[in-house]
Amino acid sequence: MTEEFNVPFPLEYGSYEDALKMVGKPDNRVVAEFSVNWEMIKIYCSMEEDANPSYWDEDYARKQWGGIVAPPGLLLSWAMSLQWHPDKERQHYFIAMKIPLPGDTLINVGTTTEFHRHLFLGDRLSVEDQLVSVSEEKTTRLGVGHFLTTQANFFNQKDELIAVQTNQLFRYYVPEAK
Amino acid sequence: MSREIKFKYWDEITEGDTITRVEMDVPFERVVLDAASTQDYFPGHHNPDYARHQGQKNIYLNTMAIEGFIDRVVTDWAGPHTFIRKRQMQMRASIYAGDVMSGEGRVEKRYQENDRNLLDLSVLISNQDGPCVPASLTIELPLKASVA
Repeated sequence: MTEEFNVPFPLEYGSYEDALKMVGKPDNRVVAEFSVNWEMIKIYCSMEEDANPSYWDEDYARKQWGGIVAPPGLLLSWAMSLQWHPDKERQHYFIAMKIPLPGDTLINVGTTTEFHRHLFLGDRLSVEDQLVSVSEEKTTRLGVGHFLTTQANFFNQKDELIAVQTNQLFRYYVPEAK
Repeated sequence: MSREIKFKYWDEITEGDTITRVEMDVPFERVVLDAASTQDYFPGHHNPDYARHQGQKNIYLNTMAIEGFIDRVVTDWAGPHTFIRKRQMQMRASIYAGDVMSGEGRVEKRYQENDRNLLDLSVLISNQDGPCVPASLTIELPLKASVA
């Protein structure tokens, strides 16, 4: 089987010890490329087939919340890096993607998010996250690797806390078949 | 053919109430729309060769798609006055292109805390083969009297 991919997925490589050195170091705060906009909200809601008028109906949303709000599930998207930019390198903003480890791939395992306030149209999100822990090497049905736990705090442009997210993912490789 | 919006209030809900089942098919188009709409181009969500290299059988929905579907299951039932305070989810199995995804749940607890009217919910997201993503949420709803 050929395993050539058009675009290799960029990850940092290193040892478990290298990864441990990253625990507790706060990453730089990233300001979202996109402001919260109705177009992205509508595209996301069409993917989910979500008819909630908080996202679609200005009159309802104004009365209930003070304006159209962003769906909570879109929280991570506002600060995603563009595929290409004239001045900036494409970069992951999640610290979990920048941890040096042997695994050549990853999968998300679990996410807990606490929401403090809504994001409104025009808001500009910023994110700071840090690595909370790295597990020792584990073997699961998918492969061999390490579980990474990270925590991210999300703020609006007024520096008000929007949400706190704790995430766990598995950074692993699939061992060669015997 | 617009969908009927149902409004619910905290005082109308009882512990043990069923959160109505929602079902949605997941063709390739939805998985690709997921990657595009969430700006998440991790190749497991659009490149079947990469997904297989990862030990997955096909491209699969990302976390944000599942989160949004959990939230939709909740708000289709609880109505648009819902504020999701907390959502916890465990990805036990992937939802692949070609699957049918469904979600349903139950009201576990109804209580008031710090002047908030809260409900703890459990929601289970499954595909046609069985459970994939168990979730638990805390949501806030207004009292009926407060809106009358």
